[in-house]
Amino acid sequence: MSFYEHTLIAKQDTSTPELKKIEKKYEDIITNTEGEIIKIEKWGLLNFSKKIKAYNKGFYIHYKFKAESKTLEEIKKNSIIDNSLLRHLTVKYKKLDIETEYFTEKDSNEKKK
Amino acid sequence: MKRKSNKKFNKRPQNPLSKLSLFQKSDSRFSKKCPLSGKDAPIVDYKNIKLLKRYISDTDKIMPSRITSVSQNKQRKLTSEIKKAKILGLI
Repeated sequence: MSFYEHTLIAKQDTSTPELKKIEKKYEDIITNTEGEIIKIEKWGLLNFSKKIKAYNKGFYIHYKFKAESKTLEEIKKNSIIDNSLLRHLTVKYKKLDIETEYFTEKDSNEKKK
Repeated sequence: MKRKSNKKFNKRPQNPLSKLSLFQKSDSRFSKKCPLSGKDAPIVDYKNIKLLKRYISDTDKIMPSRITSVSQNKQRKLTSEIKKAKILGLI
């Protein structure tokens, strides 16, 4: 068992109930294959630096979990087929730092004010 | 034909201050410590975009360590983290 981080980028068009479905889908994949979810972060809508498949923005979802290699294969299989996702990335870590959040929702709060 | 003697060049006076020309690097200005190693160093991570943007040129190229004076070990880590951030479209 080792620690991993996984980030998804969903398309800008996806509605909020669809986003929740995507979030739950990958949550279930991790838990069903004997993995443990430590934390889920939603970074919200962020601008890309360059266009990705004619999209300028995307919804980011970030997972931190503890699992074995077979869960990673499952995630990879599903995310390649998924039409609502643009990109994905998994990174292996020896230690996860849960406290620091680089993408807090400050920006969205400032806009509201 | 006889060659002219090189007296012209020999006559040039050698200043003791000639070594302090602009083109010679003075040691004090260029010996700089690595900003990413040490006790209070920031974490190099693909999520820490503010830090990574400092080590990128205007055309999104990775800056060489001879300009930024990052140590070899950290420069290797920087490149890998910058490339991860580029995959996610953050930089």
